[in-house]
Amino acid sequence: MSDTLLWYTTRGAGAVSLVLLSAVVVLGILSVLRVQSTGWPRFLTVGLHRNLSLMAIVFLALHIVTAVVDPFTHLGWLTAVIPFSSYYRTFWLGLGTIAFELLLAIVLTSLVRGFIGQYAWRLVHWLAYASWPIAVVHGAGTGTDAWSAWLFTIQAICVVAVLAATAYRLMAGNRDPLASARSSFQTAVDRREPK
Amino acid sequence: METKDTTQDRVRARDAAMRLLNRLTTGAAVSAVIGVGLFGAVSAYTIPGTKTSSTAVASTSSTASSTSTSTSSGLQSSTTPVTSSSSSGVAVSGGS
Repeated sequence: MSDTLLWYTTRGAGAVSLVLLSAVVVLGILSVLRVQSTGWPRFLTVGLHRNLSLMAIVFLALHIVTAVVDPFTHLGWLTAVIPFSSYYRTFWLGLGTIAFELLLAIVLTSLVRGFIGQYAWRLVHWLAYASWPIAVVHGAGTGTDAWSAWLFTIQAICVVAVLAATAYRLMAGNRDPLASARSSFQTAVDRREPK
Repeated sequence: METKDTTQDRVRARDAAMRLLNRLTTGAAVSAVIGVGLFGAVSAYTIPGTKTSSTAVASTSSTASSTSTSTSSGLQSSTTPVTSSSSSGVAVSGGS
């Protein structure tokens, strides 16, 4: 396969991964807000969030594999696993590795959610809020096209979408009608020894 | 029976939502595949890159007669063989 074709695929898959990841974050925030309508039940938001996150992993894998096998940079497979181990753009590529591993941790813990429990899953899931900005910074720092008009536009749209969803989430507060009841129940059934 | 109708309505609504979820997921997957191709093509158009390594480029910088072409995004290989000359230049003066 042509070196340049691999390089173009890396860049294309990176841009698509950013879009998917941003959509996943926005849908995650909307699912917390319990957004729904007549034609859009709540489980649709959650289902789409789950499906797109798995899709994001696939395209991130494509992004990573094509970057690693590209003979021009000689990145090596360790770069994809160990952050900041690359000789090439060490810091920026390291951020990409961290973002991918955080996302992988979120997906894997979601798959075994029943075994690890809700509390542990929720703690790990908060890493999504760290994974996304790290991925954005990775793209802006490493990306060949970071300051090209087309990718800059995509990045700007993604950032605005996620910031808007986050701001909406913060302003809307907790929309769970059973939040207080759940809290009371959890307190009531707390079996830990009092200190 | 009102209860049965309500249940049937909910089942239909759920099935419709499931179909919508499948369509949205499929659409997103297809769009993502097209997106990789499209963004790859755009990136290739904006920054095509070069197949020539920098060391090879440096070794061809002492030519005077070759007609190698260069672009802002990288050097392309020349069809004219590159030659180098170690002789000093000759100044010519006078003549008709």
